[in-house]
Amino acid sequence: MVVELITQGDIGKARALIERAGLRFEEEFDVLVGAFEGGEMVATGARSGNILKMLAIAPEQQEGSLLGELVTELVRSGLPLNFDSFFVFTRPMHVSSFEALNFRLLVSHGPVALLEHGNALSRYFAAHRHLAVTGENGAVVMNCNPFTRGHRYLIEKAAGSVDRLFVFVVREDRSAFPFEVRLRLVREGVAHLPNVHVLDSSHYAVSSVTFPAYFLKASDPVSQLQIEIDLLLFARHIAPHFHISQRFIGTEPYCRTTRLYSDAMKRILPGHGVNVCELDRLTVDKKPVSAYRVREAIRREAHETLRQLVPDTTMNYLLSSEAAAIREKLVTYDRRH
Amino acid sequence: MEIRRKVQAGTMQSSDLMVFVEPAEKLIIEIESTVIKQFEHLIRAKVSEVLDRLEVTRAAVRITDRGALDYAIEARLESALRRAATEG
Repeated sequence: MVVELITQGDIGKARALIERAGLRFEEEFDVLVGAFEGGEMVATGARSGNILKMLAIAPEQQEGSLLGELVTELVRSGLPLNFDSFFVFTRPMHVSSFEALNFRLLVSHGPVALLEHGNALSRYFAAHRHLAVTGENGAVVMNCNPFTRGHRYLIEKAAGSVDRLFVFVVREDRSAFPFEVRLRLVREGVAHLPNVHVLDSSHYAVSSVTFPAYFLKASDPVSQLQIEIDLLLFARHIAPHFHISQRFIGTEPYCRTTRLYSDAMKRILPGHGVNVCELDRLTVDKKPVSAYRVREAIRREAHETLRQLVPDTTMNYLLSSEAAAIREKLVTYDRRH
Repeated sequence: MEIRRKVQAGTMQSSDLMVFVEPAEKLIIEIESTVIKQFEHLIRAKVSEVLDRLEVTRAAVRITDRGALDYAIEARLESALRRAATEG
């Protein structure tokens, strides 16, 4: 029987089992479960948000039903949180064990395979079926924290060179501006472009799901693998569904991670029939416009600068009472540092 | 029967199924199964029969099946629906 592990002693046993299986024990999880036989721990696994991880089963028990029991319990524990799908990273040799539990393989790449339980990708596609039209379509993936004139410039340029442009706004809520606001500001900011469709990136682009850091040893090139999984998910699922043959990016003068991402994109996507097109960024005062500059301007309460950096739609929001809490947060954040 | 809340019944064990039920505007049935090619029509027929009998017309029903026999499907689905019809 699978039970939740709470005591330090049990967690220590789980840790030993996880490490014996060649995985790294991570302190971050919402729930850790285990199964005992004759006082010995024979199986363990954890759930962190909608990600199942650290699944380990003692070698002599691997033929049995423990994997199904673990996953049942972990999925059940996540039910009140309203996840539409659960994800697991595992080694490619274990893919069939998960497929037998109705997991679906999304990407298998090098030492890692990513599978999904709950079919959210199919539902995501079904919800956007009316947009999956053949043609020379393009895509951009953006966080838009918040939406700037730079974003609008890139979208306008890209939209001018394709039949349809899909703008995937990163859903992951780790930014100053919440997802719903970011999405709305993008929609308002591109309302004048009839061939642009603004979509929620869901779990499938630059999300916590596409970041399997826990799976690797500290010395492995984690970020490289994360980026490649993310891009392969795009290349093998998102791009074919929406008939995307162009992915647009802005030139990246500042951020190392973004540049790594852009370089990997140029390496990986063309092999899957997606051309990568890098566009020069819009500059204001001889410096590229970035969301970071916008947040700095909010911090300094420099409204005239702000007006040059963001379109009216974003400006109206930033001055509204709705944005008061975010303005306050950015300003006090500055004062504390 | 009115579906009031999100519930789950069953397990991911072999020969069992896991049923997720939640409120929806219309009737949505999604079936995943390791034997979908051979038995989807039979699973679907059994699910429809139970939904009809319990007069459920608006719900999202998601099933992940590992080769359960029809009485298991009936029992798991009925428990989920009855649970979903009660106040949490």
